[in-house]
Amino acid sequence: MTLLLIILFPLLGAALPAVAVRWGRNASAGAAAGVTAIPLALLLFETPRVLAGGTIEAGWRWVPAIGLDLTFRLDGLGFLFALLILGIGLLVILYARYYLSQRDPVGRFYVFLLLFMGAMLGIVLSDNLLLLLVFWELTSLSSFLLIGYWKHHADARQGARMALAITGGGGLALLAGVLLLGHIVGSFELPVVLRSRELIQGSPLYLPMLTLILLGAFTKSAQFPFHFWLPHAMSAPTPVSAYLHSATMVKAGVFLLARLYPVLSGSDAWFYLVSGTGLVTLVFAAYVAMFKHDLKGLLAYSTISHLGLIMLLFGLSTPLAAVAGVFHIINHATFKASLFMAAGIIDHESGSRDMRRLNGLWKYMPHTATLAMVAAASMAGVPLFNGFLSKEMFFTEALELHQTGTLWWIVPAAATLAGVFAVAYSLRFIHDVFFNGEPVDLPRTPHEPPRWMKVPVEILVVLCLLVGIFPAYTVAPLLNVAAGSVLGGPLPEFDLAIWHGFTFPLLMSVVALSGGVLVYFALQYRFNLHMIVQSPSPGRRFYNRGLAWLTGLSEIVTGGLQNGSLQRYLALLVTVILLAGAFPFWQLGWYSGSRSPGMMDGGSGVAWLLLVVSAACTVIWHRQRLLALVFVGVTGLMVSLIFVRFSAPDLALTQILVEVVSIILLLLALYLLPQTTPRESSVTRRMRDAGLAVAAGLGAAGLVWAVLTRPQDTISGFFLEQSVPGGGGSNVVNVILVDFRGFDTFGEIIVLAIAALGIYAMIGGLRVERPALDPARRPWAADSHPLLLRVASRILLPLALMVSVYLLLRGHNEPGGGFIAGLVTAVALITQYLASGIAWTEARLRLDHQRMIGIGVLIAALTGVASWFFGAPFLTSAFAHWHLPVLGELPLASAMIFDLGVYLTVVATTMLMLVTLGKIGAREEV
Amino acid sequence: MLAAAITIALAAISLAMLLNLWRLLCGPDLPDRILALDTLYINTIALLVLLGIHFDSLVYFEVSLLIAMMGFIGTVVFSKYVLRGDVIE
Amino acid sequence: MELLVASAIGVLVACGVYLLLRGRTFPVVLGLTLLSYGVNVFIFVMGRLQSGAPPIIKPGAAGYADPLPQALVLTAIVIGFGMTAFVLALAVKARFALGNDHVDGVERSGPERVP
Repeated sequence: MTLLLIILFPLLGAALPAVAVRWGRNASAGAAAGVTAIPLALLLFETPRVLAGGTIEAGWRWVPAIGLDLTFRLDGLGFLFALLILGIGLLVILYARYYLSQRDPVGRFYVFLLLFMGAMLGIVLSDNLLLLLVFWELTSLSSFLLIGYWKHHADARQGARMALAITGGGGLALLAGVLLLGHIVGSFELPVVLRSRELIQGSPLYLPMLTLILLGAFTKSAQFPFHFWLPHAMSAPTPVSAYLHSATMVKAGVFLLARLYPVLSGSDAWFYLVSGTGLVTLVFAAYVAMFKHDLKGLLAYSTISHLGLIMLLFGLSTPLAAVAGVFHIINHATFKASLFMAAGIIDHESGSRDMRRLNGLWKYMPHTATLAMVAAASMAGVPLFNGFLSKEMFFTEALELHQTGTLWWIVPAAATLAGVFAVAYSLRFIHDVFFNGEPVDLPRTPHEPPRWMKVPVEILVVLCLLVGIFPAYTVAPLLNVAAGSVLGGPLPEFDLAIWHGFTFPLLMSVVALSGGVLVYFALQYRFNLHMIVQSPSPGRRFYNRGLAWLTGLSEIVTGGLQNGSLQRYLALLVTVILLAGAFPFWQLGWYSGSRSPGMMDGGSGVAWLLLVVSAACTVIWHRQRLLALVFVGVTGLMVSLIFVRFSAPDLALTQILVEVVSIILLLLALYLLPQTTPRESSVTRRMRDAGLAVAAGLGAAGLVWAVLTRPQDTISGFFLEQSVPGGGGSNVVNVILVDFRGFDTFGEIIVLAIAALGIYAMIGGLRVERPALDPARRPWAADSHPLLLRVASRILLPLALMVSVYLLLRGHNEPGGGFIAGLVTAVALITQYLASGIAWTEARLRLDHQRMIGIGVLIAALTGVASWFFGAPFLTSAFAHWHLPVLGELPLASAMIFDLGVYLTVVATTMLMLVTLGKIGAREEV
Repeated sequence: MLAAAITIALAAISLAMLLNLWRLLCGPDLPDRILALDTLYINTIALLVLLGIHFDSLVYFEVSLLIAMMGFIGTVVFSKYVLRGDVIE
Repeated sequence: MELLVASAIGVLVACGVYLLLRGRTFPVVLGLTLLSYGVNVFIFVMGRLQSGAPPIIKPGAAGYADPLPQALVLTAIVIGFGMTAFVLALAVKARFALGNDHVDGVERSGPERVP
């Protein structure tokens, strides 16, 4: 439970700073700090158990069908990362309170930061690889939001997009890799995966799986050639750079490798891919960092270089190298976060990050300068600072390497070279900024920052020193458990001491230190470092070109497909459907099946002829709209005959009713629309449409023929058997509607209600003048409500209502039911509108249609809810047979009350639709 | 006897429906076609009743009852449209 | 008999699709109506053609037509009606809001260009 709380506090508490910001910036920051401090305390509470080597696990089922469960584990590695995330997170929250200006929306910043924190904690505490992926994507998203926090800056937006594209693309590769891994192992649960080393390494899918997972890790951890997003992410506010882009998020890739180290490492592919990429990144980025004029740019490349170092260490696959990797993760997080914060202070108090202008700041901010110097010394690997220890371990391991054979010297030489560069850029960070002359027209006069802004830096710098001087007393226990869970086995012998005697690694350190100093001063004074401008890296150029190409391509595709013509979209849609259907149809062997067709009779032949001719006439005369409508009426009638002929009385009743209601609707609309359709399509276009239509018709007919000539295999046996004993009704169609599939019907009446209300909202208030002459230029008939019609309709009303009640009541056992009865009632009522007019009818029939819809849906819903009170699921039906005098046996099922709700909804929606449309053309008097 | 009568009646009704179709196609005017539609409704009722007798089932009678009612309303609506344009006023 | 049904469905679908591809709202609604007739009958006959065997439980009945497609189609008819009504309301609204009844809301003069 603790584990879930640790993740949920930042994720759910993320809303708090946004709320608290109305009481001021301090309240917002305080809320964020509180939401961070509680899980930190929870985590620290677990320290004894973790340091004793224990693993805390917790889990809940989530989506077991795809192997995705909410399982969490807290082991040494997870504990280390969680500690970094929460600890540095707390410092960053404090720092950001002073860093952000009055104009920045503070609440939003803390919301994003906490979201990121929760997601990152999710990554390091997940015990399920799919769950880890979910959080992985969440960190990419929150990183996007944080980089683009100053959304009015174009470079912030571009940097955010670039980071999202690269890390998101890597996330996709990782997803594929994890799916492959899950496929190999048969589970996504980490404990299972970590036990399957032989299975994984022996699998033929090992190499593609490894490549995909490494792609995810390399993009996230900004390894060459995907590194270029990280410098661009520096347009984020500096607290974000300190937190996400040095201490935590970019370590996610490294973390993943550490997590999967026991099962993935040790192979040749792993060695060459991971350590090769790490080595190139280490040297290349360190070299580039020397020439960056931007403070944060230098730090960004230095981060890339150090991430490469950690990668390299994991790639070496020796136990001690893995320990060194974990150790360097800790050290890098502390010194780099403090350096970023120091850079932020300099930027904040002087207004510039450009080292060509920032010179001689020692005089103005000696305190900050001291802090920065300590951190930079640690970054350079100077003895007595923590960076030295892990770098020394790295040099030792580089010398121990055997895989490279006669080329054994490459890794140590490259390591030393990278060390030289690291010293040089660290020296530049200090010398160029705090010494080297006077500031060059800075926007502000530099001064020391507010007291509390320095506290986070001080804490981190003290940690650097403590770890650097007393490693055995400070970091050793944490390092032991963390490295232990990476290795998944016994720890190698190692000694966390500053002095190991005169050894070869020490010599390498000395070379790096003296070489670095030499290189820096040579560059600065011999070539004038300030004048060197680098061209953008090839990766970034490739990215930009690729992006431009993709945008161009999508513009061509979109512009080609979407020209704004709905006709064209529909034609494309039909074409695609035809093509999609054609292939499986062909494979099926669409010709006749084994079932012999039945005999046709004369009546059916006549009906067929009427249907086909009237449908064709609808098309032929579709420009004369009223005429086309008459033929649609004939077609509808014939369709209902099909239903009668083939034993579907319910359908026939519904069809004939809907048919008439639709014709009334269409006539109402036609009155408001042009009476004829102009001829505007070209012949080619009509031929094309006719071709599509014929193809669609042939497809449908062929499919029907193929189905009808094959034997039937139905699931309806259950419904036929259970209708009477289970549903209490003998009309199986109605029992299916109101009982077996009652929930569908409930959804359906809601759809109807929404459609009716939508129509009312859309055209409820529309009023249109009546044209003076009819379409044939004749005056309208004078008598608006003929007497004969009025009399006939009034006689019809009670009869129709009686029929509808009869249909409703018996619907459970004989053809009928709520839909049919509702339509009959609606037609009977609408006939009064037709015959006697709106005013006359509404004076006598006061129905609030909207309210009636509500009541109908409510009755249906309450019938469903009522079954809860009997401990049964929603819409469970109950029934009984009552014996009443006069009427005789009356079967009553609760489903019939549901049907009553359906009835009311159908009546009200139909009426609302018709009356709304009917009132548009009505004159106010009458 | 009954079977033969039904067969003859069915043939007659079918013929009537074909003639309705003829009137629908030829027109010449809209009222002619509306009348043809109305007659078609009536012939349909007759067809269904005959089928009901043939299959010995009551189900067909209900359908024909509703067709009678709806056919009436359909014809009324079309006529009203021709006369007044606005069906509900 | 099966051939009659299959060809009738084919004709309904073909006429429906052709009208659906027209440029004015009213023919499109007519096309939608015809197409839904076709589709409804299509789903209905998936339960095969049964004469004189309505799915109403009676002792001694020889057999029953498949009730499941019927239940599906019953709701489909009603929903189809709701959709027709909604599209009609849209068409009316569009005509008065945009001044024409073209589906794109823009009157195109002369024969259209074929893409």
